[in-house]
Amino acid sequence: MTFANPLALLGCLAALIPLLVHLFDRRRPKAHPFAAISFVLRSQKRTASRLKLKRLLLYALRTLILLAIPLALAKPQLAKEAAAAASARGPAATAIVVDASLSMRWQDGKSLYTRARDEAREALKELSAEEPATVLLCGPDAKPPAAPSFERARLRALVDEAEEASFGPANLHRCLELAARALEDSPLPGKRIVLVSDMAAHGFHLEVPPPTVADGKGGRVKPEVVLRDVASGQALPNAALVDLQVEPATQVGPRAFQFTFTVRNFSDTPLTDVEAALVVGNRTVAKGFVSVPAGGTARKALTHRFEAGGTVQGEVALAPDALADDNRRPFVLHVPEELKVLLVNGAPAAQRFRDEAFFLEPALTSPGSPVHTTLRDAEAGLREDFSKYDVLYLVNVPAPEPDVVTRLSRFVEAGGGLFLSMGDHVEVAAYNERLRALLPRPLRDVRTAAERDAPDADAHAERLSQVDTAHPLFSPFTGQAGEGLQSARFFRYVLLEAQGEGSQVLAAFQDGAPALAVAQRGKGRVALFTSTVDRDWGDLAIRTSFLPLMQRMAAFLAGALEEREELRVKVGDSLVLTPPKGESVAEVVGPAEGVPFHAQEDGSVRVGPVPVPGAWQVKSAKGETLSALTFAAVLDGSESDLARVSPEALEAYFGAETVTQASTGSERPQVPLWTWLIAAAALAFFCEGLLLRK
Amino acid sequence: MQLLDATTLARLTGVKLRARAVMEGVLSGLHKSPHQGQSVEFAEHKEYAPGDELRHLDWKAYGKFDRYYVKRFEHETNLRAVMVVDASASMGYRSGALSKLEVATTLAGALSYLLVRQQDAAGISVVASGRAHDVPARASAGHLNVLLDALERVSPEGTTDLFTAADHLAEKLQRRSLVCVFTDLLDDRADALKRVLSLRQRRNDVAVFHVVDPAELTFPFDDPTLFLSMEDERRIEVNAREIKASYLEEFNGFLEECRQACAEADVDYERVRCDEPLDAVLLRFLARRQGRRR
Repeated sequence: MTFANPLALLGCLAALIPLLVHLFDRRRPKAHPFAAISFVLRSQKRTASRLKLKRLLLYALRTLILLAIPLALAKPQLAKEAAAAASARGPAATAIVVDASLSMRWQDGKSLYTRARDEAREALKELSAEEPATVLLCGPDAKPPAAPSFERARLRALVDEAEEASFGPANLHRCLELAARALEDSPLPGKRIVLVSDMAAHGFHLEVPPPTVADGKGGRVKPEVVLRDVASGQALPNAALVDLQVEPATQVGPRAFQFTFTVRNFSDTPLTDVEAALVVGNRTVAKGFVSVPAGGTARKALTHRFEAGGTVQGEVALAPDALADDNRRPFVLHVPEELKVLLVNGAPAAQRFRDEAFFLEPALTSPGSPVHTTLRDAEAGLREDFSKYDVLYLVNVPAPEPDVVTRLSRFVEAGGGLFLSMGDHVEVAAYNERLRALLPRPLRDVRTAAERDAPDADAHAERLSQVDTAHPLFSPFTGQAGEGLQSARFFRYVLLEAQGEGSQVLAAFQDGAPALAVAQRGKGRVALFTSTVDRDWGDLAIRTSFLPLMQRMAAFLAGALEEREELRVKVGDSLVLTPPKGESVAEVVGPAEGVPFHAQEDGSVRVGPVPVPGAWQVKSAKGETLSALTFAAVLDGSESDLARVSPEALEAYFGAETVTQASTGSERPQVPLWTWLIAAAALAFFCEGLLLRK
Repeated sequence: MQLLDATTLARLTGVKLRARAVMEGVLSGLHKSPHQGQSVEFAEHKEYAPGDELRHLDWKAYGKFDRYYVKRFEHETNLRAVMVVDASASMGYRSGALSKLEVATTLAGALSYLLVRQQDAAGISVVASGRAHDVPARASAGHLNVLLDALERVSPEGTTDLFTAADHLAEKLQRRSLVCVFTDLLDDRADALKRVLSLRQRRNDVAVFHVVDPAELTFPFDDPTLFLSMEDERRIEVNAREIKASYLEEFNGFLEECRQACAEADVDYERVRCDEPLDAVLLRFLARRQGRRR
């Protein structure tokens, strides 16, 4: 114990006053002859023991009063174990590492991070005057701290200003390494690292060696490590939303989605009937309850059908617990707009299965599809007002008349989509002559790989071998999902010229001939499929990939396909966004202040690291929101597991001879000792008054 | 009626003056004396029956009615009263104008005055430390001066000895008498009061005047005090304030015990504070006796 004003201790001598008064008080009592002395004697005998006790109590209380007041004025302080250890080892340069990871946002009335800041201030206060110090806030983007200095005020301000813990993970090992490097800048031989953390296991990497510092003699030694556990050794129960999958719920209807989320319970007690809500915008649109066993996971699905298309922001939220931030999972969803497709059938047939559009129309209009199809034959279809549609499908249609071609060109230039598929009604020469400006590549001639009904047709039929799965159109058809494409056989197809203005071949046959070529024409897109969309020239129409491919084709041609990709990034990470042509990124706005972004050479933009979870919007130079680039930042699930490293494990890791487990604020008295002494004196004074009254 | 307070009485020197002053105060307060002694007041006629005293025959009535009538009177016997005064040293205690002994002698004198004035016989017996000094009871007017002189000479000394007083009276009283005991009852022996009250069993009319000093009732001491016994060598140093509550509890309990014992023995009990008007004490006493007689 130490005293701030040791001289005040001299006042403790006053505690002797009651004793001295008792010893030297020799007042002569007044003699009084009294008739009823028998009663006086009897009373005295009756009350003697009580009076003796009362006198003793009075003596003790008065001594306590006279002792407590000078003791309080001396301002006693209990010396901390850590400080005592430090003083025993001599002054040391000190680096205080404050864990600022997401898990420090756990709170039970007071957040762990707030306690950590208090601990850091306390650690600074405990340093002796000759010990330089530095502070490192260990978040996802921890930077090397300054060299240890004596600027206590600056360090305190650093702690004060960092009001909130980050939303990302912290690599404590890296932070300890950075702190150790900073300590090497101090000439003092003693080095000390004070780690203020919840000691959650995810922050440590006990498999790599602990940090060391140069000893000035060419060797390296372990620094003294003081551990300040802000959780006071207690378990930190938590549950978190660790995953969210959003899929179209075609069985419910168009624009319906199923939100399947996974809840993990990291505590030892099961959770029952925890409320989960699907929030879109600011409105709760669906609710459910989920029960999770202790240490287990549970999945739950909520479904919602959106009234209209567009970019939607929302979140799935669990009832908040001590770490509320990981109970929410934001999402950004691009609900497809309704697509109006004019399907011009160039080869209608009375027998449905022979009809050119027999497979295509149901594929486009299947349940859950945003496509609304209008089916016409060639004559009627080409007379339609194209501007009423988003995409035109011309399947096996003879080369249209020039005036129709003009209208078609105007339609595509204005942003419409045009799909052309081949067939017996397509004349290569007429197409090249009339549609040359629109075609991705001019047609050359028809090639027959095998006759469909020939016995060896299978062997000679062409298959797709080069599919550009990097393109949004084919991006889902990877792995097993691509088998539907690869198994399709093509007996006949149209060969294309080698060159075409701005054309891009997205799929080719085994012989290298293009199967699908696309090109940008004005604001619109044109896709040329060199075979048929029925079973005349091939059997793609009966393959599982046909339906999604045609729907994606419609979306691609309407310019809506890329927008359907959900962009998601973990907090603390970066992502690359590709703005539409002619647009540039001016600002990224979201739940916190802007995120840094850097334009890259290929026109894309690297955004991040994203600091806060939630939906982030990208603004163009014109101030418009580029909704296709809106993305969701989600938390790293690893921070939700608050399982702690045992003190023994930490001691074994850092070395028993260098580590100290400091007591934390919750164990130390929050009120200074002197106030308790004053309170004791006041209480004693009150009790003395009571005794005297009796 | 102007009552005589203790301060006024204290200005009067001697028992004679004080007793007379008290007696006059009492007389002015009485509407009719209940102590008629040998009364000559006619009460009623009764037809003569054999055995009636012939000297009470009313001859005038015989002349008028030709029948024998005997006169009846209110009282037909003389009252004998003995004033027993405790003159122990404790009776000398005073915290105000009058000591307990002065109060006792004044009351005894005033009562004697009243008795002799109505031709009753009055005597005194002063007791202390096992000795008794008696003045026999007589009804003559000249006897009053003897009584008062004897009371004048009483001084406090020795120990309270109610045993001796009771035994002495029991031996001395041959006829049924009124025995008025003036004492502070501070006799440490357990049955002292009972012995006094036993006089009642001998068909005497007993009245106890319990004389109490105000300081004994209120214990008004604060500082550490050395209390000295007035009758022996006992002494004790105490902080009076600390034991006050306990003392008052003990003393009030003692007073209540005395009152209770007297009531059970059918003895008049009159507590007398030294600072209260003594004529009021006597009036209260006489009124109670008158009430009992009816």
